[in-house]
Formats: sequence, structure tokens, C-alpha cells
Amino acid sequence: MVRTTVVGNYPRIGDTFEEQSLRRAIARFDKGEMSAAELRDAEREVVKAVLREQNDGGIDVVTDGQISWYDSQSHIARRLASVEINGLARYFDTNTYYRQPVVHGAVAWKEPILVDQWKFAQANSKAAVKAVLTGPLTLASLALDKHYRKKKALALDLANALGEEVSALVRAGAVHIQIDEPILTRHPEDLPLAVEGLERIRARKGAAALTLFTYFGEVSKIFEELVETPADAIGLDLVQGAATWSAIAKHGSKKPLVLGLVDARNTKKEDPAEVAKKVLGLKDQINLKASFLSPSNGLEFLPRERAREKLRILSAAARMVGVAG
Amino acid sequence: MTGLLTTSVGSFPKPEYLLRARTKASKGDLSGEGLRALEEKATAEWIHFQEEIGIDIPVDGEQYRGDMATYFAENIDGTEISGLVRSYGNRYYKKPIIVDELRRKGPISVDWFKFAQARTKRPVKGMITGPYTMMDWSFDEFYGSREEACLAFAKLLHQEALSLEAAGAKIVQVDEPALSTRFDELPLLVKAVGTVTKGLRAKTILHTCYGNYNEIFEFFNKLPVDQLDLEMSNSGLDLLDRFKREPLKKEIAFGVVDVHSHVIEPESLIRERIEKALTIFAPEKLYIDPDCGLKTRSVEEAQAKLRNMVAAARAVRDAHRLT
Repeated sequence: MVRTTVVGNYPRIGDTFEEQSLRRAIARFDKGEMSAAELRDAEREVVKAVLREQNDGGIDVVTDGQISWYDSQSHIARRLASVEINGLARYFDTNTYYRQPVVHGAVAWKEPILVDQWKFAQANSKAAVKAVLTGPLTLASLALDKHYRKKKALALDLANALGEEVSALVRAGAVHIQIDEPILTRHPEDLPLAVEGLERIRARKGAAALTLFTYFGEVSKIFEELVETPADAIGLDLVQGAATWSAIAKHGSKKPLVLGLVDARNTKKEDPAEVAKKVLGLKDQINLKASFLSPSNGLEFLPRERAREKLRILSAAARMVGVAG
Repeated sequence: MTGLLTTSVGSFPKPEYLLRARTKASKGDLSGEGLRALEEKATAEWIHFQEEIGIDIPVDGEQYRGDMATYFAENIDGTEISGLVRSYGNRYYKKPIIVDELRRKGPISVDWFKFAQARTKRPVKGMITGPYTMMDWSFDEFYGSREEACLAFAKLLHQEALSLEAAGAKIVQVDEPALSTRFDELPLLVKAVGTVTKGLRAKTILHTCYGNYNEIFEFFNKLPVDQLDLEMSNSGLDLLDRFKREPLKKEIAFGVVDVHSHVIEPESLIRERIEKALTIFAPEKLYIDPDCGLKTRSVEEAQAKLRNMVAAARAVRDAHRLT
């Protein structure tokens, strides 16, 4: 009665020797002992393993784990025209860092960014693979802008570029597209700009289902507007953003939601029955059949074995919702 | 007048022989005693190096630590160590997991402080990974509240600070690299660091880095320590104007070399940075150090940076007739 999905990234190494193949491969690549093609093969082996873990975990809509991404910002931005990649900056309130994109001129789409990775993942997954893109507002907010000097102008050009990418992904066969705008949890006042960007992306998505996801915090103050945005589903972090819960309970949503109820930033294991109970508490406010249960954000902040555990908790909770429903 | 004393933030790179030994020890091919002997050798070498180049306030160099939070957690009851998680790029680390009530098993870093202090007459800093950073960098399966976990760390780290003082530490530094993670939690950080430093006679220092200092500026004077140690060369030189308008009521340790760059800053550039700092801060309240721990540099790079830093501080001291 509720389906399961993940948000995006997934731990690329684990604690066994076999699970650390990619770490070794990158070290060898950095020393010049491995070619780019060999490194890509090593990445693809990990993508297959990550898809297997999600498939085995019973996840309905999966991702490629963003295994080949250096980080959420530079992986997308580096393939766009007029963007260079600079030094490290702290990524939100996490103890992780991203390479900051620097915008030197008019940003434009040049070539497919995620299409080959998505095709490979879908060819190796039983479940549908969702294509996940960092949203134009978040990209614009975290980049160093030396050209536009106005967030709006940069965000809208980024939206046009991402629209091209979405169009290419849809042509390749993607039916689930997700746009991540975690910056909305920090700057809810920027929602109108996020909406304007999303409209441009929506125009290129064809029949694919478009999800807008926010994480790393709550969005209770903009919840009513958020569910009216031009996306087909809205993804919410309900752990760090637990305060959004009361807004859902109060206002409900005609649009399907992705309920990020399983904590992707803490190793503590949730009781699936408790998670299921929370989900069922919303059965009169939202359409559970069209909605999803997910981790609160990407699972990469956890050790691999705990990430696997969280997948099992998700599907166990979803089964309990189904039985109770 | 005295002034411009030189110091370091904390960590130094591990020499090749110690890196190899740590790998062997992690595979079980080297005993704990065997590893300890090499950690002592490396620590003694770093103390000797700091004496040789004339650093006024040495550090033990943290040759015995892997990660600053994990090392402390390994010596605290109520914690486990997680599997690997990614920091960025191809860098991974293990995080503490709080699984039960936090309690200090016994002194954590005191033996290493004593070991280092026994090898120099200069005052060695006692080093504590701060309670806010310990909390922010740990998974929490027990408290379920960031505040509770943070204050539990603060309570036991206060015991550690007292032990360092009892062992002879004249200076105790609290490292809070996570300070600028969540601005809304700065009052919690102030409370927690205050718990650690409460009643200490030793001079207290708070070190932080990677900061958006503009956002936290107004908290600087509220931090319950005698000295602030800030990364200035990488991100903060433009803060000087703000310090001019809103004076710091504490001592400052002013980072003058970038620890993330392979480039060895020439003495002349470091001198310029110190001269700039001197236009704002009184020399007796101004300490000179690198931006952060030097552990990510090679031994040669770290030593070259420190040599130039000490030479630059000496030149500026001479120019201003400071002793």
C-alpha cells in the first residue's frame, strides 16, 4: 500500500576487502597505474553491487547510488559550459565537502551528463532506476558566481541546462526523474525561484514522473506552497525535518509524497513497526498508494552495512503498512 | 615588550615508518607495544624539530591519533567505532557511535602530554577534541538529543582538562572544527566548552577552522576561553576589517600558512600577513601558527612551512623590537 524508494547516493565502499575495490582503484588511478576506462569498469562493478543490494532489499524504485559522482554539485556542474571546479567547501551541516563550481560565463548544457550512467544502471536492475539531478536553485546557491552576480539569472540558466538533461534522460527511457533542492530547507524564501526553475524542467520531462526532494531540514513554513509546485510528487526529510510532519498532518497533500522517515544520518535502527505506524497515521491526509517511503536523504552518510540495514527496515515497514492497510 | 609567540594547532604528518607500522598493526602484524614505540619515536622527533627551529609553544603532534574524534571515543566508555564513511573524494573515516551513557575510562591524552612535556622545557599544549565536535561527528544511538550528547561529552572532557592541568599543562586547547556547522547551536557550543574549561587555571584556547567566520563573529567574545585560534590565511584575512570595528577581547592565534596547499609560503608573504595582523592586534596578544593541523601535508612540506613561519615571526619581532 506504500512503495519504497531511496533518495540518491549510497556508500561506495564497505568494510570488507572486496567492498573496498573502488577505493583501491581510485588510488591506483591517481598514481597513474590505472586508465580512465579501467576506473569506469571498477565503478560499474560497484554500481551493480549497489543495485543488487537495493533489489535484494526490496526497494521499488532505486538509484545507481551516484557511485561515480565526486559530489552532488561538481558532478553535474563540471559538464556544463562556463563552469570550472574549485576547492573544497563544507556541504550543508554534514562533515563532508564538495568541490565548489565556479561560474565564469553563461551556463549551458553541452552534452549528456547522466545518460550513460542511467542506462547502465537500468540495464542491471530489476527495479526501475530513478535519475536524480541536483536542482538549479541548490546548484546556483552553492556555486561561486563570477558572471551573473544574480542568483536568479544563474538558477534559471541552470534550469534550462538541466531541462536539456532531463529531456535526454527521458529519451533514453527514464520514467522517474528527481530534482533535489535541499537548499529550500535553509532558504525557504527562495521557493518561487525553485518553482520557476522547476517549470522549465517540467516542460522537458515528457511522460516521466517528476519528484522534487528537499532534505537536511524542515519545510513546514512553505509546505502548502511546496505541494502546489509543478512536480508530480514531493520528497520530504521527516527526520531532521521532523517539524514538517505536523504540516502534513494539518494540510494533507493531494500530491503523492515521498516520506523520508528512516534516518539516513544516524546508525540507530528504527523499529519497522513504529515507522509503519507513523505512515498509517497519514492515511487520511495523503494517498498512500501513490506515495513512497524512503530514507531521509542519501544513504552515503552511513557505513555500508548500516545502509543495507536501513533498506531492510524500509521494506519491512512498507510491508507492514500494506498488511495493515 | 614580548609578543608574536609561535605555536602549532595540533597535528603533524606521520613519518613513513609510522604509516607503515600503523598498516601492519591494523592487520595484526605488529603488537600494540611495537606500534607505541614507533609513535613515541615520532613524537620525540617532532618535539626535537620544534625545539630546533625555535617554536615557543610546542604540541605533541598527535602521532598516536588516527582521527581526532575517534581517538577520544576509543578511550570513552559508551562508544563503539563505526564502519567507514566517506568524507570527500577518496577519503574515508570511522565515526564514533554513542551506544550507552558516556563515561571517561581514565585519562585520554594525558600520557602523551607527559611524554612530550618531559622532552622540552617549553610549555606543551594539552589537546582536547571539543564536546560539540565529538557530538556532531558521532552517530547517536543512546541520547536521542544533540544537546544531551554534547553536554555528556563536555562533562567527561572537563575531567580530562583537569587531569591535563594536574599533569602540568599550562595551556589547554579545545578543538572545535565543527563549530560553524549549525549556527543555531552556537549557544550550545558556548555552554559545552564552558563546561570543559570551568575553573581551569591553565590558559584555555579554542581552535576552529573551515568557518564562515562572518556568521559566527558575534560569538567570538562569548566563547569561554582565553584565546581563539583561527584559520586566517585560507579564509580569514578579509576578516581583519571586522576585527578593527569589533575588537576581540581575547588573545588570538593567527593562522598564517595554508595547511591544504602543497605550496610552501615564502617567508616574505608570511611576514606580510603577520604585519597585517599587527595593525589590529597587540603583539603580546597575537600568536602565530598554521591555519590548522598539518597532518595532511608531507613531513617535508610541514617542516618547510613551519621553518618559514618561525623565521617570518622572528623577522617581524626584530623589526618591531619585540623579544
